Amino acid sequence: MKGLKHLLIAPPLLFFFAISLVPLIFTIVLSLSGYSIGGDFSWVGVDNYVRLASDPMFTKSYWNTLLYVLLGVFVQYWLALGVALLVNQMASGSRPLRLLFLLPFVMPPLIVGFVWQTMFDSRYGPLSALLRGLGVGPVLWLNEAKLAFTSILIVDTWQWTPFMFLILFAGLRTLPREPFEAARVDGASDWRIFWDHTFPMLLPASIAAILLRAIEAFKLFDVVFYVTGGGPGGATSTVTLQGYFTALRSGNLGYGAAMSIVLLVTVMALAMAALVWLKRLAGRRTRRMERELQAFSVEFRERTAP
Amino acid sequence: MTAATQERGRTGSRLARAALLALWGLFAGFPVYWMLVTAFKQPRDIYQGPFFVPFLDFTPTLRAWEYIAGPARETVVHGLLNSLLFAAGSAFIAVVLGAFAAYGLARYPYKYGPYRNDDLSLLIVSQRIMPPIVAVIALFAMFRAAQLLDTRVGMLIAYTWFNLPLTVFLLTDFMRRIPVELEQAAALDGYGKFAQIWKVVLPLAMPGLAAAYLLSFFFSWNDFILALMLTFRDAVTLPIVITNLSAQMEPRWWLISAIGLIAMVPPIVAVSLLDRFIERRVLHAPRGEE
Repeated sequence: MKGLKHLLIAPPLLFFFAISLVPLIFTIVLSLSGYSIGGDFSWVGVDNYVRLASDPMFTKSYWNTLLYVLLGVFVQYWLALGVALLVNQMASGSRPLRLLFLLPFVMPPLIVGFVWQTMFDSRYGPLSALLRGLGVGPVLWLNEAKLAFTSILIVDTWQWTPFMFLILFAGLRTLPREPFEAARVDGASDWRIFWDHTFPMLLPASIAAILLRAIEAFKLFDVVFYVTGGGPGGATSTVTLQGYFTALRSGNLGYGAAMSIVLLVTVMALAMAALVWLKRLAGRRTRRMERELQAFSVEFRERTAP
Repeated sequence: MTAATQERGRTGSRLARAALLALWGLFAGFPVYWMLVTAFKQPRDIYQGPFFVPFLDFTPTLRAWEYIAGPARETVVHGLLNSLLFAAGSAFIAVVLGAFAAYGLARYPYKYGPYRNDDLSLLIVSQRIMPPIVAVIALFAMFRAAQLLDTRVGMLIAYTWFNLPLTVFLLTDFMRRIPVELEQAAALDGYGKFAQIWKVVLPLAMPGLAAAYLLSFFFSWNDFILALMLTFRDAVTLPIVITNLSAQMEPRWWLISAIGLIAMVPPIVAVSLLDRFIERRVLHAPRGEE
């Protein structure tokens, strides 16, 4: 059974080649062509990419995507951490509450889009009613650029904070108790305990949550597709949405392919940078621990020396 | 500080914490509640709204549900069955293939040119980092050439591709923790290598397999972009059915909400089962007096 080992790994590798690598190469080739559905194939070199740089709809979508990732991950991380800490402090019976908090994440993204479309409606939406009750006058959430952008960010936060909460809560549950009890006996404040013990010990879970969330955030599509359709005037559009409209709705496969390649390169570059940074961080930590250990052993020897 | 003020301070902070949790619960839960009540509204209760409490400020009706059970039945059932088939089927295939690959990666040293075990894992997992739009534009053209566009087989392939990186990633660590001695004992009893995996390793990996299955099911069920681009009639999933029903000037919110509620049931079941798994594993981990 010498072939077994190769047989075991074959299917995932086959899928990798057939449905990831081949399409990727195909997309790169497409992006260098002026091919459109029903049209002829023609090489245009890097023309598509040059055109992208001065295409206002694309540049807007590109910066929107980056902003959604940055702002979304930042806001959602701190909210999720806060909620996870609060739930973790509950003595017992947190399961129903946890399931309630997970509901938004469980909802199919398309339904999320629909529900929030009704939530934001300026005539019969509950949010507008709430604001009317507070004396703020009809808010056209989805008609003004900045407000529409914020609305998408609110929906994204609603939908994805539970995911980060799940990871951070699981991380909190596995922390040992002794350091916290010792610090409490020493009279440390909750604030100090958080920064000195909880936060550093939770760092691996935090990094996992942030990385996974950021990777997903780059793919933002369905919610925007439904809540605003990218509007008004591209104010909420993302690269995936723009690529979809260009390639599959308008049929400009070549130009749409170029958009998706720019997105891929961006994600890959940032993922690489994150990995390098994490490796260096881990190295620094190990070196610091080594130094501390050395200092401790020196001190130990001095103290125990006759 | 006297004991009394300390006690008062503690009650105060407990109240503040409860208030914060309640606020978050309201934010998380209200849109779901809103969908629930919308599914039982008349059109006029929606357009003259907002109305919040059934029986109090509007009379609930089964209008949407009657429509689903009547004229829309065939369309909805068609989408529902497709969604179930794709999610359940592709999750099963992805877990079986993923388990074998994970076993291989955990037990054997690989060397394909410069690629060793870690590189192979990274290659497989990196597919999850790639935004689907990159593959999907080409996939659309490839599926069209292979006549897989809008077919069930095509969608099963697409969702298996979608989930396989995840199952390989999750299960490799799991397989590493299964003691190799058990297989050696089975080998002494005359089991072949394949029987060892099938009869000894996989049963032991059951909790991990179940978790990977539920997660895969969940992700395929909630997918929208693959179905949007690769199906249009025969292989449409529930999200696409909903999209088609909503493609009108004034969407029928009551109907969309009702089908949305149906669409939420399978992932809720999957995630609450998953939560049990996570909790059980946490309870087994050493953690003070608990």
